[in-house]
Amino acid sequence: MNPILAIMKKEFLQLRRDPRLIGFILFSPLVLMILFGLALKLEPDHLRMAYVDQDQSMFSELIKTNIWNDGYFELYEVADPQAIIDHIRDGKARAGLLIPNDFSAKLMDNLQPTVQMYVDGTMPSLATAMDNKKHAINDASVSSDMYFLDPDDTSTIIAPEPFLLDVQLLFNPEKRETWFFLPGVIGVLIMQISLILTATAIVREKENNTLEQILVTPIRKWQFIFGKILPYIMIAFADFYLILAIGWLMFDLPIPASQGMLFMLASVYVCGLIAMGLVISTLSQTQQQAIFLSIFILIPSILLSGFIFPIEAMPNYIQPIAYLLPFTYFVEIIRGILIKNNDFMVLLPNFAALSAFAILFITISIIRFKKTLPTS
Amino acid sequence: MPNAIEIDQLKKSFGNFQAIGGLHLSIAHGEIFGLLGPNAAGKSTLLRMLCGILSPDSGKIKLLDMDLSKHGEKMKQHIGYVAQSFALYPELTVAENLHFYAGLYGIDDQAHLQSLLETFELVAIQKQRAGNLSGGYKRRLSIACALVHNPQIIFLDEPTAGIDPFTRKELWQQFYQLSNAGKTLVVTTHYMEEAERCHQLAFLHHGKIVAQGAPEVIIASLQHYAIFQITTSGHPAWIDALKKLPQLILLNPFGHQLRIITEQDIHAEDIQNFLRPHSNETIAIQRVEPTMEDAFMTLTREAATP
Repeated sequence: MNPILAIMKKEFLQLRRDPRLIGFILFSPLVLMILFGLALKLEPDHLRMAYVDQDQSMFSELIKTNIWNDGYFELYEVADPQAIIDHIRDGKARAGLLIPNDFSAKLMDNLQPTVQMYVDGTMPSLATAMDNKKHAINDASVSSDMYFLDPDDTSTIIAPEPFLLDVQLLFNPEKRETWFFLPGVIGVLIMQISLILTATAIVREKENNTLEQILVTPIRKWQFIFGKILPYIMIAFADFYLILAIGWLMFDLPIPASQGMLFMLASVYVCGLIAMGLVISTLSQTQQQAIFLSIFILIPSILLSGFIFPIEAMPNYIQPIAYLLPFTYFVEIIRGILIKNNDFMVLLPNFAALSAFAILFITISIIRFKKTLPTS
Repeated sequence: MPNAIEIDQLKKSFGNFQAIGGLHLSIAHGEIFGLLGPNAAGKSTLLRMLCGILSPDSGKIKLLDMDLSKHGEKMKQHIGYVAQSFALYPELTVAENLHFYAGLYGIDDQAHLQSLLETFELVAIQKQRAGNLSGGYKRRLSIACALVHNPQIIFLDEPTAGIDPFTRKELWQQFYQLSNAGKTLVVTTHYMEEAERCHQLAFLHHGKIVAQGAPEVIIASLQHYAIFQITTSGHPAWIDALKKLPQLILLNPFGHQLRIITEQDIHAEDIQNFLRPHSNETIAIQRVEPTMEDAFMTLTREAATP
């Protein structure tokens, strides 16, 4: 037999004898392809938009109706203009609309009033999409009802556009792309390092037959697990701040007012990831399997967490998957801390979710380890 | 003084496969006890149960007069285990591996660790990575690592497999020294000459002891048989005929030699006469003393025959 064929045959035979790996190879691309095909859209719809209509006129209603009909935003009313910004900062709304009280008066005087729109500048796709959406809001269908013609010369439109739409990008007024992505990138890099390092670390002990030798010694299981994971927690922490420092020094990422929150985020996130890595290591027999499983978590985390593609753009039945990914909460928190300057109380639900994940994975890893490791 | 190891009615199965079936065994202090048997006889399974890393289905193990099931954690301070595979960290140096295992036992006695490096001739290579060592040195290091806490009982799973005869001899000298120092050693092996070096042997087959005693006693158990040796080359036609010899128990080709184990009441001439119709030349047949290999082959055969 040709030596290349001999090696090929051996590789296929080895793969065939590793049913878990076959499962990953066949199952994971299938699931991910279908999932991403259904989920990923850059243009969101049904985004929550907080509005204040100070004009309360037929014309302001016309604008709101037009926005409703477009399907892009779901309007809800808030008390005052500051509330619009607060709601966007707190993540309750992704956009805001302020129709000033002199809107119809100016319109009637052909003074081209301005409608103020606010957009969450931490959402990359939303900021770019708004440039296109601007036209949909003051397009011909709405504008035509607002033209006031010169009674002496009906052929002349006095103002070319009856009103102006001013879009203000909140929290990232300069529309810096690095601000869109870098906070999330920090999380992706930490996830990659923590998951793969931990997931393979214990499998490597199994593969090297050192696990059995260690279990003969008086070491307790918890001592073994802690001894194993603490170095990776330290490495992940060091990486977290190293990556952040690069973001601050090279890419002008804002330095947050609260370093405490940042430390808390790093703690909860890293502990959760390390515990998740441990769970993977108990489910894997080989390092190859462990890496595949880690990637199976890593890719959906990047694509379904709202880091690149808005969760609001995903079909309703897929959105719960996004909320099953710890990274989703990380992205919300880190954008909140670095870009939006959120208060702790605003981020608390996300912190709670991330902590719950950490506790869940730590618990599963302990239970799984009791089953996986021989008696001691 | 009670025995170092007492095993009573020990059983272990993996699914339908019975690895150890109702084993009873006593091993005295300071003894080098050999567990001999073919592959899948249950040697490693027994060793792993004795180390407390595998739970028996039933039965009792007492180490140093303490019930292993009740005092497993405490016992770990008193036992050392050298696994069949080299349980070393290839990225760590010789000294780092040794210090790592010492750390697991909370031992910081530098003089003791240095003496282990010296005993196993690892001083000169202590800064080399374990992954780059030869098989012999990996084995020396594995044994040294198992001795960091000065255990009373040492379990060695095929400790000299794949090792050159010179190193094997040296390691056995170390085993004797440990035994002289009062340590109890339990050694699994395939090597007959290694089995002969043990003070006591148990011959395992399908998880049961089929023979037990000092090596000379095991060999003497062949006194009911006659052993013959024929020096030959190639595969002469009469070998097939020899297989039909009515008194034949076992035919064991070994290089240019044939070992024939037969019932006691037969002489070399009887075999020559039996083979005469099948061979033109006279075949030189010599009655010889039984060896450990003869015992191993015969006991395996007897145990396998229902």
